[in-house]
Amino acid sequence: MSSKKILLAGTVLAMIGLVWLGAVYWMSFFWVSTEVTQGIAQRIMYVHVPAAWTSFLAFGLAALFSAVYLWLRDERLDRAAVSAAEGGMVFATIMLITGPLWGKIAWGTYWTWEPRLTLTLLLWFIFLGYFLVRSSTENPERGKRHAAVVAIIGALDIPFIHLSVIWFRSLHPEPVVIKAEGPTLPGDMLTTLLMSFGAFTVLFLGLFLLRYSFENLRSELDTRSRHASV
Amino acid sequence: MRNYLKQIGTILWKDLLVEFRTRERLITMGAFVVLVAILFNYATDWVRVSPEDIASGLVWMTIMFAGLLGVGRTFHLEAEDGAFQGILLSPVPKDAIFLAKALANFVFLYIVALLVVAVFMFFFGLEVSRNFGMLAIVIGLGVLAFVALGTLFTAVSTGTRMGDTLLPVLIFPLLAPVVIYGTGATSQFLAGRPLTEAEGSIKMLAAIALMAFFLGSLLFRFVVED
Repeated sequence: MSSKKILLAGTVLAMIGLVWLGAVYWMSFFWVSTEVTQGIAQRIMYVHVPAAWTSFLAFGLAALFSAVYLWLRDERLDRAAVSAAEGGMVFATIMLITGPLWGKIAWGTYWTWEPRLTLTLLLWFIFLGYFLVRSSTENPERGKRHAAVVAIIGALDIPFIHLSVIWFRSLHPEPVVIKAEGPTLPGDMLTTLLMSFGAFTVLFLGLFLLRYSFENLRSELDTRSRHASV
Repeated sequence: MRNYLKQIGTILWKDLLVEFRTRERLITMGAFVVLVAILFNYATDWVRVSPEDIASGLVWMTIMFAGLLGVGRTFHLEAEDGAFQGILLSPVPKDAIFLAKALANFVFLYIVALLVVAVFMFFFGLEVSRNFGMLAIVIGLGVLAFVALGTLFTAVSTGTRMGDTLLPVLIFPLLAPVVIYGTGATSQFLAGRPLTEAEGSIKMLAAIALMAFFLGSLLFRFVVED
């Protein structure tokens, strides 16, 4: 696909995602019924849960692209990896902001050492390291390789972090009971949630493609300015 | 295979010899451990908490921070006069270099980790004699995981402008499982609980150490390529 087509696809997808997100906001504020025990705060779920899913998708893609980059050494794979990782950071930040806000009302505390919370926070820091390595390495080619190693190890460590934080919690049961939603979710809530999953995923893919074509342009600019200076 | 082990042995022996002649890292880490214990004494209200309650956490955190000091220096000696280029140009495979460096770090950090236990025994009257063998195994497995990740990411952070300051940001999130299972097993041993209770933790620590060594020797070549 040419870079113009990628840019176009990214713009179209991001637009669809934004409009779709607007519809989700409308649904979650005016259409869906209010949950009985938590009241309106429960509506945070329609942002929080899809943001979580999207950030895991993005970090997974970043690790996958990084691994294939180390193998094939195609610059485009590195650009895809950094674009996905940046998207992952954005959505993980959304999740980490909305989570405590919801938790304060639903559980009565901003933070609990709940496994998924802890896992996400650690993942956020692993990818912070990914960007720090990239930006502070003087040789850009080496920075890309090193960052790829960080992303791969980070992704492979996830199962261990997940298991250990669950295990840790089972030793110290939380005083608050986390409400099990899942399949018992009423129809209109489920519809809104699924709509939101769709909106977030499409928006992420759009932003990812935009970011990727931006990265392409930047490297082209680099090459041209290097040619000009020679 | 024998050749491979010989190559690892040569680099390992060189590192150990240099360290045991200069004693730079061991002295720094050892002094750090004792000084931290002195500070812990004043930072803790021993009337309200007994050493057994918080010792396992303090022991593991001390090992982690001392380990940062130690592994951060892994490549300094070679970086100074370009000697690392020499090792990389030699026909030794990259994973052998990684294993040798990580094992050298293991020897230093394991000595220091046992010193941590001894210091806590001496200063705070910690009772470890009941399960000392198992405690030494648990700490050994945790230290193995630490040095594998630490050696790999020291090679990454030495290549950056930030140097060693970047190291904790890179390895602490990855070490969360080691701390969780390590402190879990340690506090069970310190409380004199039966060994079977800590079995799950020990298996997980072993799995993490194995995984860390496997990934380290697999990915080290990409870190030191140039």
